[in-house]
Amino acid sequence: MLITGIRSKPVYAPLQPDLLGRYHVMVGHGVGATPLSRLLSDMRQAEPKALACTRVWYVAAAAANGATNAFRAAGIAELRTFGEVDALLADLTAAMRAALMGTRLYVAGPESFMGLVMRIAHDFNLNRDEVRAEECGTLARRVHCIHCHSTIENVRTNIVECGCKRWLVVRDHYSRRLAAYMGVMVDAEAPGERPQIKEVFL
Amino acid sequence: MSHSHADTIPVRVVAVEQVTPQIKHFIFAPTGGGELPAFSGGSHIIVVMRGAQRVFRNPYSLMSSPNELDTYQISVLRVDPSRGGSAFMHEQVRVGSELEIAHPVNLFALAKLARKHLLLAGGIGITPFMAQLHDLRLTDVPYEIHYATRSPEHGAYCELIAQAEPQRARLYHDSAAKFIDIEGLLSHQPLGTHVYVCGPAGMITRVLETARALGWPDSHVHYEKFSAPPTGEAFDAYLDKSGIALHVLPDQSLLEAIEAAGVDAPYLCRGGVCGFCRTDVVAVDGELIHNDHYLSDEEKASGKAIMPCVSRARCSKLVLSL
Amino acid sequence: MNVALKQQQVYRGAFTFRNSPQAIRRFPLPFPEDRYMYSVNIEPHVAGPAGSVIEFPIDCDEHYVEECRERAVVLAEDPLRYQALPHMLSAQWDTLELGMHSLAQSYPQHFSLSRQGRSWHWINRPLGLDQHFSFGDPATLPQPPLEYITRQLQGDWVIMDQRDNDLWAEGGMVTGPADWSMDFDIGMSFKEWHGPVPLGHEMGVFDRALKFLLNLRLNEPVRRLNWTMTVHPRLDTSPHNYPEWGPERATVTAQNVADVLHLRTELQGLWRLPRSNGIVFMVRTYMLSLRDVASIPKWARRVHRVLRDLHPALVDYKGLTRHRPTAVAYLAQFDDGAPTTPGTAPE
Repeated sequence: MLITGIRSKPVYAPLQPDLLGRYHVMVGHGVGATPLSRLLSDMRQAEPKALACTRVWYVAAAAANGATNAFRAAGIAELRTFGEVDALLADLTAAMRAALMGTRLYVAGPESFMGLVMRIAHDFNLNRDEVRAEECGTLARRVHCIHCHSTIENVRTNIVECGCKRWLVVRDHYSRRLAAYMGVMVDAEAPGERPQIKEVFL
Repeated sequence: MSHSHADTIPVRVVAVEQVTPQIKHFIFAPTGGGELPAFSGGSHIIVVMRGAQRVFRNPYSLMSSPNELDTYQISVLRVDPSRGGSAFMHEQVRVGSELEIAHPVNLFALAKLARKHLLLAGGIGITPFMAQLHDLRLTDVPYEIHYATRSPEHGAYCELIAQAEPQRARLYHDSAAKFIDIEGLLSHQPLGTHVYVCGPAGMITRVLETARALGWPDSHVHYEKFSAPPTGEAFDAYLDKSGIALHVLPDQSLLEAIEAAGVDAPYLCRGGVCGFCRTDVVAVDGELIHNDHYLSDEEKASGKAIMPCVSRARCSKLVLSL
Repeated sequence: MNVALKQQQVYRGAFTFRNSPQAIRRFPLPFPEDRYMYSVNIEPHVAGPAGSVIEFPIDCDEHYVEECRERAVVLAEDPLRYQALPHMLSAQWDTLELGMHSLAQSYPQHFSLSRQGRSWHWINRPLGLDQHFSFGDPATLPQPPLEYITRQLQGDWVIMDQRDNDLWAEGGMVTGPADWSMDFDIGMSFKEWHGPVPLGHEMGVFDRALKFLLNLRLNEPVRRLNWTMTVHPRLDTSPHNYPEWGPERATVTAQNVADVLHLRTELQGLWRLPRSNGIVFMVRTYMLSLRDVASIPKWARRVHRVLRDLHPALVDYKGLTRHRPTAVAYLAQFDDGAPTTPGTAPE
């Protein structure tokens, strides 16, 4: 019933600099700072001049976060930090409007955050060969209730109760457009017969 | 599953015009009346020419409006020295001639999610863009066309383009030392732009190399290359599955020789780009001459596959899995 | 919603759907052999025998009017079953042309299309429609072109854009799916869209199918068959209304299995679209109760053997886990072990 192994789940890989690109936009959230710092240091090794064409957008998850100092020390062209995801997304959208062909986008953070950044990338017609993503941090999922069309944020459990009062099982089927996994009623065939709640997306 | 091309459309030539010293413009109407199949800008057709000794099948871009289907229009550059196809069109085809064409195929389609289209045409390479401009005028997406020719005299459709696109077209003539500033153009395009190039091989190579150097990803760079299959030495081939032996003439492509032997081999572009005619090589007692843009370097080196539409062999016998 | 729609009970409620003897014999059995596994079973969509479901490019059968009514009911409840992204407009018109042209050519007694340049006149007699419109101008139709034409076609329809060496499902009318959702899947690449299908990816089926479809040519449509099973003749088994039909899976018994459990064949057709260079994907569903399956001895034997030996991953994916044993037990009484003749035609 809990259907896994579905191929629509995005595939992530450790970030590597794409030196074919001319401009580099890096976007991170919380612990996404770690892969971004590693990416910057790889870039310094491979092509230091690329750092002058690199800009970082970052949402710090915790107030005392040393990541921003590390970014500044890397000698990048610009660092933009935000307290909220929505503010970052709005600012990134504005920057994309002025961006030029030759730009590469790198995203690091929890999947639920990356999904929102990917939607912006899609709006600007960035294709698979222009975007790289590395998942880190919480595996909590955004879940789209297929019955009432609402979205549940930060789902950590195998089943979850939706606002429509149905218990949903989270399928591995992922929609980039909705930036969410599909949630389907778990006990439709046998009302009340639900698996035990387990924390699975940590 | 076979992809036979028995299903061609008979057409009659209703107009022929010499538009430049080397280019003729042809208008085809369906022999049986009615409309020709709808198509999208960037499509080409294969024109089947039945010469006295040989059958030629050449691809030509449709340049007429996709919204007007009473006729199709193509332009044919006389290639010198011609292998036969373009000479046939120039010398033998006149008003009233009957030809066969295959259904349109689009291997040079506009990207529908592009935020801007940048069209770069050189010489006869203007033709697919002429059809695409009709499609682009119906959208809200910005576009520009840059059209380079040797001289105004050789620019078949300069006036037409300038009139149709006064704001969006720029014309360049080698004779006036005006050249497309490829690097300048590709340096300053907004995110989500797609570039399309059709023209002489040198121009296509320059655009592809410049785009790559400026960080353009392959998915935003589109090109259409129609080149006659390179000539070479004659050789013998054997079709393993059909049990047919054949001889490939110096100015004949392997695909043409296979077709002349009565074997219905698959193809789409006839230009070594699409990969559709890829054929397994069973054995060769010499060297394969790969002229395609489809097989990877490793595949070419392995000698296990060939694109018979443009590639050939320097050998006495090539055995194919056909 | 008008009264006729409210009373629609064919594919829901009282489930009055029945197949005539002719409809039973023309049912497209999806099993050419006594065993089943995925394959790239694609073949040219050329005309089949007179009276068969492939006699014409788009089959219009005895259920036409009731199936169009069912679609209207589903849309009234959930308008998101029809969707199309903005760049798919030319593919919408392509699909409208395919539908109208095909129906008018195949069934001139029911449909007619006359064209004077861009001025088109469409008559659909079974549904009582008479529409003048200007081809290419959406303002001259009561609905977007894809919605307009697919409200008058049986089966689900998906339009795909071709770009970046992939096919993207970016519009469709899906009111009778076998447990998938256009609203959720819109915008997906070919392999994302087929993500939930087990085994196929490992077998390379989707790689090969995609490669084949990217080169699909105008005027050379292709088809394949797929299948599942549904409790009751319920066309709309989407994930959206799973709370309604899910419980029915637990109601199959040895006493009712012959009448409630239906073999469900999808005749899938794919056409290259001319103006958009996209592809349209038709999923036409035919349903047959096990009692009707058993009325043809060859089919009873074959379906029994297929269900009995089905790969466990497919049993689960097709939602057969709860009632397969009951179905196999029912069909076993008709299987004397005799060999079946090749092909799917009833003997």
